[in-house]
Amino acid sequence: MSCSVLDEQQFRQGCQLLLQRSDQLGDGWSWEAVQGSEEGYLRKTARRSVPSDWGPLHDQEGFSFHPQTLCDSTGHEKEEQDPAASTGSDFLSAEEQDDGSYTVTDSSSRVVQYEYHILFSCSYGAPVLYFRAFTLEGKSLALEEMWSTIHPNYRLRLQNCPLSAISQQEHPLLGQPFFFLHPCRTEEFMGLVLQAVQDQGRPVNYVLSWLSVVGPVVGLDVPLQYCTPLHSAVSLNSTKPD
Amino acid sequence: MFSATRFAELSETIVQSCPLKMSDNAESPTETQKEELHSPSENSATSEEKKKIDVLLKAVGDTPIMKTKKWAVDRGRTVQSLAQFISRFLKLDANEQLFIYVHQSFAPSPDQEVGVLFDCFGSDGKLVLHYCKSQAWG
Repeated sequence: MSCSVLDEQQFRQGCQLLLQRSDQLGDGWSWEAVQGSEEGYLRKTARRSVPSDWGPLHDQEGFSFHPQTLCDSTGHEKEEQDPAASTGSDFLSAEEQDDGSYTVTDSSSRVVQYEYHILFSCSYGAPVLYFRAFTLEGKSLALEEMWSTIHPNYRLRLQNCPLSAISQQEHPLLGQPFFFLHPCRTEEFMGLVLQAVQDQGRPVNYVLSWLSVVGPVVGLDVPLQYCTPLHSAVSLNSTKPD
Repeated sequence: MFSATRFAELSETIVQSCPLKMSDNAESPTETQKEELHSPSENSATSEEKKKIDVLLKAVGDTPIMKTKKWAVDRGRTVQSLAQFISRFLKLDANEQLFIYVHQSFAPSPDQEVGVLFDCFGSDGKLVLHYCKSQAWG
């Protein structure tokens, strides 16, 4: 069996390992079982502050991710610049200003409540990330609004896909509308990574590895502590600012 | 801005002190590239800048291999920024996503600083990062 295709038992094992670690770290994942069966999914809710006006960003912050065109501060498009020519001064300013923050044209931000579910797809032999988002007032975000919460770095690539990478469909177990990240490419990118690791005989948690890749796209942070040795694990609550 | 002397110094360093088999296909980075990430680090014992960490970049799958694999990177640089640098260096297509992994299988958050990664996963004085290009979405 290809190492990049998961079966349901391996999925559950991966989820349980992830869950154990989550409990140690206080990261908030829970296993929701389907009544009377071993089937289930991982669930987590999280609040996230999203800039209200997450439009195109200045290149100087180092966050315009390989754009075809760049928009300057007035919104006018510039031609794609030859990377070799533009890197000099751009990256010097990026180094100076790169403290991990990004500028937004509007300084206000809003808080969005997310709910993430990790389900298993039999047909793709892969985990699938379902999610939905709400304002604090409980109003669910529509597809367009949800797009505005995706970091601009990812937005460009996602929107360039021939198939929609993020779309809405009925949750397979709950029957409610959820967004989800389409899993059709999962085997491809997981296969590349896993092959190298497994050649070395090192055990890998497929679910964790996959989540670390796809999670950030939809605002789900997968802390580094999932990957660090047990003895150095620190509860996230003690370090995470409120 | 690098002076000519500095450039010569670093060129010598590349050839002489880099422990990796760089001589097969190594070439000195261009000036603009060196302004971004400094070229393969000097012997860390003599390095004045403790704020940089040594990073070894390894390609996964059919991702192009960087001619220069070892870099001295500011601790505060983010994974995102590094991925962007590699993408530009490799002249990747706009549709191609570049992923960076620590421990060979875990993708750190794009906002994560490489210095922290080095503290957690560095060994033998360097941080090994695997990078992989993929059409991950769709």
